[in-house]
Amino acid sequence: MSLTSLTFLIFCLIVFSIYFIVPKKFQWFILLVSSVFFLFYDNFNVSTVIQALVVLLSTYVYGRLIHKYRDTKKSKVILIIGIAIILGQLFALKYINLFLSTLNHISGHNFRNITTNSLVGISYYSLIMISYLIDIYRGTCKPQNNILKCALFMSYFPILTSGPFVRYGDMEDELYGEHKFSYKNMCSGLVRVLWGIFKILVISQRCGYFVDYVYENIVVYNGIYTIIAALLFTIQLYTNFSGSIDVIMGISEVLGIKLPENFNVPFFSKTITEFWRNWHITLGAWLRDYIFYPLLKSDIMQKLNKKCKKAFGKKIGKKVPLYLSMFIMWLLIGIWHGGAYTYIIGSGILQFIFIFFEDILAPVASKVNNKLGINDKTFSYKLYQVIRTYLLFSFAMIFFRAHSVKNAIDIISSIFVIWNPWILFDGKSLYTAGLDRPDFMVLIISIIVLFVVELLDRKGSVREKLFKQNIVFRWTILFSLIFSIIIFGCYGVGYDPAAFIYRQF
Amino acid sequence: MIKNIIKVIVFISIFCIIWHLVFSVLWVDKNSATYFFEEPKNSFDIVYVGSSNVLTHFNSVLAFDLYGYATGMLTTASQPFSAVEYLIKESRKYQNPNLYVIDISKAADDFDIFPKEDIRRCTDSMKFSKNRIEAINELLSYTDMSDDNYLDYYFSFFMYHNRWKNLTESNFADDKTLYKGYLLTDYNIEVVKEKTDIWNDTKLDLPEENEKTLTSLMNYINENNLNVLFVIPSREFEPKHKGRLNTITTILQENNFKVINFNKLDDFKINYETDLYQQNHLNVYGATKYTLYFAKYLHENYELKNHKGDENYSTWQSEYERFKIDFNKLTKKDFNDYLY
Repeated sequence: MSLTSLTFLIFCLIVFSIYFIVPKKFQWFILLVSSVFFLFYDNFNVSTVIQALVVLLSTYVYGRLIHKYRDTKKSKVILIIGIAIILGQLFALKYINLFLSTLNHISGHNFRNITTNSLVGISYYSLIMISYLIDIYRGTCKPQNNILKCALFMSYFPILTSGPFVRYGDMEDELYGEHKFSYKNMCSGLVRVLWGIFKILVISQRCGYFVDYVYENIVVYNGIYTIIAALLFTIQLYTNFSGSIDVIMGISEVLGIKLPENFNVPFFSKTITEFWRNWHITLGAWLRDYIFYPLLKSDIMQKLNKKCKKAFGKKIGKKVPLYLSMFIMWLLIGIWHGGAYTYIIGSGILQFIFIFFEDILAPVASKVNNKLGINDKTFSYKLYQVIRTYLLFSFAMIFFRAHSVKNAIDIISSIFVIWNPWILFDGKSLYTAGLDRPDFMVLIISIIVLFVVELLDRKGSVREKLFKQNIVFRWTILFSLIFSIIIFGCYGVGYDPAAFIYRQF
Repeated sequence: MIKNIIKVIVFISIFCIIWHLVFSVLWVDKNSATYFFEEPKNSFDIVYVGSSNVLTHFNSVLAFDLYGYATGMLTTASQPFSAVEYLIKESRKYQNPNLYVIDISKAADDFDIFPKEDIRRCTDSMKFSKNRIEAINELLSYTDMSDDNYLDYYFSFFMYHNRWKNLTESNFADDKTLYKGYLLTDYNIEVVKEKTDIWNDTKLDLPEENEKTLTSLMNYINENNLNVLFVIPSREFEPKHKGRLNTITTILQENNFKVINFNKLDDFKINYETDLYQQNHLNVYGATKYTLYFAKYLHENYELKNHKGDENYSTWQSEYERFKIDFNKLTKKDFNDYLY
């Protein structure tokens, strides 16, 4: 069920109505029923039910056992078994084909790809439930004794498609607590939902028309087309992802449930490191807390640390295990994004390379700036840094979007080999790649609106500012937003005048 | 709490008003059927139902000028025959004519070839109602919907919301009555020479769906005591269609319905060298000839009121004047020369 579909809208209206009508002590149960419905809406069969039960039962049972045997060696073994079961299933359903293709590549065998049928949100709920087990092991939370409440934590429907990653300790009161209907929450939540839908339907989908067209016809649409497609794909990705998060957060806000923020205006970041602190924040935090730090503090890394310090000196030596842990973490981020090398390179390895060079070149850049008398505190320098970050991220995303690594390399080559700037000025060429002139105009205006809102958001919530305004201004903005979505949104089959004109008689 | 409820009600009301204003412009491209439903209630003496053959054959403003009766053109391009019953049902919510004229040229078509545009032109012009839903269900049952979205048919804004790119000045003009549905453009003033088509009386079996639809329509007409005249317009038909239309004619006549086949009349013949702009569509000269004959026939054989001079029908006369001016401008000829 897509977050922007009419079905989802109707589904949410039904959930809201029942949720606030039933006695408050049953609200969590309504959420559970809704979440189970959402989970199996598109994919209900024996296999998917078993998939969900495997994760639910293993986390429920092992969570309680870990707590029971806390402070004994047994708890670690149980934790490892629990994680292995969840990861094993995730691997079998999402990454088996990546594994087979790698195996084929290395060994020369020809194992066929396996068709898998995984539940919606498997990548999210698997990691969420792993963090649940680890938190119990670490003693930062207690296991849930009610298996149905445990099932709700695993399957809370708004976060199944796009996150954010939540921790049990933060969600316990939110999910199982009693929530009174709040008119203010409803208005605020629905405005956020609308803003999210605007981002997805008006901006992201529209960018997608151009990007898809160029990527599908790379032989014809190359050079400047591919540069524009690469730049637009980053906006497409951001508006789709952050728009989905806005819908999710808005729905939760109406229900009275607070979720952690997942984005913090990432395109105003001056470095890739800062960018990732503001992009998919909860994934970064999850990997930092459950992969990066444990890895860095592991016995192997500590030993490596000592050896490297001996071999390369204290300053460089201590960086080796740090970079190695970072590399592993970024590799896992790449793998998590999807079972293909394009994701591993685009959202993993290249990001690591950028951060690595940012780190080691920072002192050099500082020295060069000093020598040349460049003031790095000025607006122009910060603007340069923001643009550089956007360009670097967009470059990496070429791999993320491409069909294959070869396709990505072809696209990058075309950027440097083919020089066709006239397409920007001849008044027609640009409008032949999936977006006509009116659509381009709408896209540019929408991106400017997005930019202004994000800029205002840095200095405090735009929604809060909006709700402090007079009703006429407030409603004008809201109706503009609603009708922008209805008229300019890319949904439905769309009107094709050619089809009507052609068959007029 | 009450204050908030009032706010929500006012918000929704404003939303509905803006929605109505926006979609009255963005809605379906105006066609004869949309004009039809925008005409004053109970203002038609005749309702003429059918496909493009109606709007390219019968000049309703000329008929008005000659005899004073008003003919509503309930016509859409390539109108599927299975839509006719639903369109008549819809028309009866607004009109109570003395006569329904039904063009049956599409009754001989195979029912498995309805392109979605043909369906949409019929159903989009209807207001949301049980009849509209039933019409959509019926028409979609003959269409391959494997890669389409059913919701788009029931909620047309899914389809038309992005028509903003194609809006022109005419979409904002309050021009509901252009020639009262007759078609006059720069292409149907052309003369295309066609080979003379000879009608033969061979009969062919009707497909099951066609027969079912025809029976259903006849039952509906009988149940509602409607006065109906079926017509086969003068144009070229494929042999298969001729054969099926002969069978349909027999069925209708056996059920005491009157059928006029304009291709078999002794006192009316179209000239295939001068009267068509396409194989199956009359040009404006052919249409004038057709209208002169058929309007007279209707006047002489049915009790139809003469509204000439009636203030309520002033737009009919003004549309006729507009038609003549536009005809003269487009063809560089005088329309009066074609009236005899």
